[in-house]
Amino acid sequence: MLNQGLAIMRREVFYLCRDRGLRHILLCGSLIGLLLFYAIYSAQVLKDIPAAIVDLDNSSASRELAEKISKAEYLKLVASLESYDDLQELIKQGRVIVGIVIPENFARDVALGRQARVLAVIDGSNMIYATNASAAVLTVTRTISAQAGVSALVARGVQLKQAQEAYQAIDFSEEPWFNPALNYAYFLVLALALNIWQQCCTLAACLNVIGERGMKSWLQIKASGISKFKFFTSKSLAQILIFMAIVLPLYILAFGVFKLPLNCSLPAFLLFTLAFAIAIHSIGTLASSFARNAVDAARFGMIIALPSFVLSGYTWPLEAMPAYLQKAARILPQTWFFQGINYFAFKDAGWNLMSHFILAMLAITAVCYGAAAILIARD
Amino acid sequence: MRQILDIAHYEMLSIFKEKILFLMVFLVPLGYAALFGATYVTAILGNVPVAIVDLDDSRLSREIAAAFANSPHFKVVDDIRTYRELEEGMKNGRLRAGVVIPENFEQEMARHTLTRVLAIYDGSNLIWGYNTRKYIREVFNDFSASNTASYLAGLGYTKNEIRSIMDTVSLNTEVWYNPTFSYANFLFLGLVMMILHQIGLLSVSLTITREKERKTWLQFLSAPVPAWKIFAGKSLPYFVANFFNYALLLWFAARFIHVKLSGSLPLILLLGFLYDLVITGAGFFISTHAPNSLQVTRYVMLLSVPFFMISGYTWPATHIPAFINYLARLLPSTWMALGFRQVTLKELDISYILPHIRALGLMAVLAVLLAVNFTKRLKPRPESGTEINGGASYPVRWK
Amino acid sequence: MDTIVAVKDLTQKIGKKTVLDGLVLEVGTGECLGIFGMKGSGKTALLHILAGIDRFTSGKVLVAGLDIRRTEGFKKYIGLVTQERSLFQDLSVAENLDFIAVLKNAGRDNIGPLIRRLELGEVLNQPAGTLEAGLYQRLALACALLNSPRLLLADELIGAIDLESRRIILRELKSFLAGGGTCVWAFSNAEFLPHVDRVGWLEKGKISFYQPAGALARWSGLIQSLAGQGGDSDA
Repeated sequence: MLNQGLAIMRREVFYLCRDRGLRHILLCGSLIGLLLFYAIYSAQVLKDIPAAIVDLDNSSASRELAEKISKAEYLKLVASLESYDDLQELIKQGRVIVGIVIPENFARDVALGRQARVLAVIDGSNMIYATNASAAVLTVTRTISAQAGVSALVARGVQLKQAQEAYQAIDFSEEPWFNPALNYAYFLVLALALNIWQQCCTLAACLNVIGERGMKSWLQIKASGISKFKFFTSKSLAQILIFMAIVLPLYILAFGVFKLPLNCSLPAFLLFTLAFAIAIHSIGTLASSFARNAVDAARFGMIIALPSFVLSGYTWPLEAMPAYLQKAARILPQTWFFQGINYFAFKDAGWNLMSHFILAMLAITAVCYGAAAILIARD
Repeated sequence: MRQILDIAHYEMLSIFKEKILFLMVFLVPLGYAALFGATYVTAILGNVPVAIVDLDDSRLSREIAAAFANSPHFKVVDDIRTYRELEEGMKNGRLRAGVVIPENFEQEMARHTLTRVLAIYDGSNLIWGYNTRKYIREVFNDFSASNTASYLAGLGYTKNEIRSIMDTVSLNTEVWYNPTFSYANFLFLGLVMMILHQIGLLSVSLTITREKERKTWLQFLSAPVPAWKIFAGKSLPYFVANFFNYALLLWFAARFIHVKLSGSLPLILLLGFLYDLVITGAGFFISTHAPNSLQVTRYVMLLSVPFFMISGYTWPATHIPAFINYLARLLPSTWMALGFRQVTLKELDISYILPHIRALGLMAVLAVLLAVNFTKRLKPRPESGTEINGGASYPVRWK
Repeated sequence: MDTIVAVKDLTQKIGKKTVLDGLVLEVGTGECLGIFGMKGSGKTALLHILAGIDRFTSGKVLVAGLDIRRTEGFKKYIGLVTQERSLFQDLSVAENLDFIAVLKNAGRDNIGPLIRRLELGEVLNQPAGTLEAGLYQRLALACALLNSPRLLLADELIGAIDLESRRIILRELKSFLAGGGTCVWAFSNAEFLPHVDRVGWLEKGKISFYQPAGALARWSGLIQSLAGQGGDSDA
């Protein structure tokens, strides 16, 4: 009995290996993905946002201000410009993201206690730049206006101590948890590679049923009298084992070599991954059991697998999506899996939550396998 | 010309006859756009759930709490009172930010002892992380300003005097192009370009593999019809459909997702035309070389994520290693996505996107040249041996 | 008699197997040459080379005086009936005729007469994929003749099909030859040997030529020798 199952599993491995396209995809797809994404985000932290200063005053006060701004966290002064038009030009070309314009007569206005308006321009077309740049500018804003305000008060005859008290800001320290350096590579690399992995696995799983029934050898299997349940169970087992086998080197590389964060235990994370591997396998199996041919099966599977990362809320958060979409997204195992990466790899949110996530994925799995079984039996 | 149109006519027929292909060409792009559109329709990340752990419970600490409660960016979660609960909430996702006001905060402020409010935010998802950091700083800046203003009022200054003192040096920030920090403005059209890329490429790249699988390719090969006419006729319907989808998706984006779509219309049309041409040419080229539809479908489907990430559309190219950037420049999607943003979001004129037009134009010429120069002779293959799905067939359910 | 097909030292290797091994072959205008051989003897390989579908390893092939490696121009002179079903399965009979006429840039004048002669009038709206074997072969022949070819390349033109269709196809073939056409007809059924002018017997990549009677005699000899060995021949 067991031998029969093992023989089917072995043949399944041969089948996957002899399909050249699938072999390449399974073996290389997710690894290439991981390496590529790691390379893309190798800068890791968005420092050195290109900034330019237009100093129309060119006084010691304005230079001091420029100096202060150029030292702001995350900003990197790449140009000192003569005119506002030059700045505009550089921003249009995308070579500068932040521009600071210090007006003419800045020093004189400050000295006379008149208002001086410094302008900060931020290119908002790329949000990743824009949010970081504006956070940097916000800090600069605070210190500059406080210093200027204190001197203004002193100029009006207020005692220095009292003036400082007026500007005694609420001091606050920021602590970004779970990813203290706001490392973009930590945020995206593993998740994107796993996204490729799940797409590759879906493609393989989409061949599960149609790959047998669409071949003439199906007659042999039917004639042999082996139960369909046993046959497809053995096949599926082999496929799921392969899915796990290809995710292992991914994890070794990601956690061992690239030192991406894994705050829960590795066995727990592997268990979580296994539940997901079974879940995507069940979706592929379902697609392959009602498709007329292998291409359609691949399309059905991928129609779910492709947008699932965006829908999963791993990047743009679920909470910000319309309520109906949040509900719909929870039907997909990918949503649970990618949310899970956030909750377990980063936050170590505990076994209670993980078991909840695993149960959700298994429930989806049960529905898909059940539907597939009905479709297979009916034929 | 007549011959080309006739070939195109029969290609249309086969698109209409194959239901799934028909859906793919005419419905899936809009479907995906609608799905992603719904995802980003909120556009601005608001209501960040924040907990205020007030260990001081003084006037000042309550004012800080009020500042967060009054901010449009935050939503205070009321039932979290302790640091432990805060930790728990951050882990299980109920909270994305927290503010901890230490004991005796007001007193120590008054005594000028070093004391600090702790602002915590979730860095594991950097869309939350970046935005929340910015929001927190905004709240504290505003709060400090109002604090100063009330202090000065206490010294007996008038409103005008206070304003002139506080605005001695004011740093006004202008955010250009996307002042509301709308995520939809930022990302959605890039995704639309990827949808068009993927579906366009996939549907064209099946046009010859389909003939190969059905053996009808022999009819094309044995007929005295030149290769370029086969290309022109067979890809014309896809070219038109892709362009129609381009227009449809842009209209959809502007009308329903309220994405900013300004800039010069002729430029938008030109970019779309070139992009479409590259995709159609490249898809046809792939199709003439691929063994069967299954392999094409598999490979093409996997392209979308890497192509988008590599383009520098999100994580900026300035922070991507040079060799990756060179790689990205070989892809039409990179030029299209970035060029399109220059036109529609930054509203730049043609002089700024000449490089993009040049690159896309060059790629279009190259793709079409490759596509029309396929050889009309096959290299006969041996029986496939033990290989699976490598020849001109794939599993099809048979009766 | 003019030569319409001239093949010199034609070798075709597919993978490791030599399918055609230094073939020399000439076909005169107006001739009907039968290519006879068993499955896998290289008949289809030869016809696909002559039709300009497959590349070949070495040798020289002239069709209508044109080197087929250099030009596509000879394709307007040929018509091809393939062994595999290569018509458009999901198009109707009429659409197939129309579309293939488009591909051949042949004009639509021939469609009507061909429908009449091959008696396809009643199935014009049926999809080609659902046609019975006999009707399908009639349609395939009609499509091949749309451009009034000078050379008809027919691969298993008549398989195991109904007798009525067989009669119609043979009648059409005769009238094609009578009109000055040339035909290279590949088959594996010895029954058709008497219908051709000359037989090229393909075996192990080599071709040897016979008169139909000679070929038939050799075939009968082979069958008898098998029977003599006590093998159970039922050919």
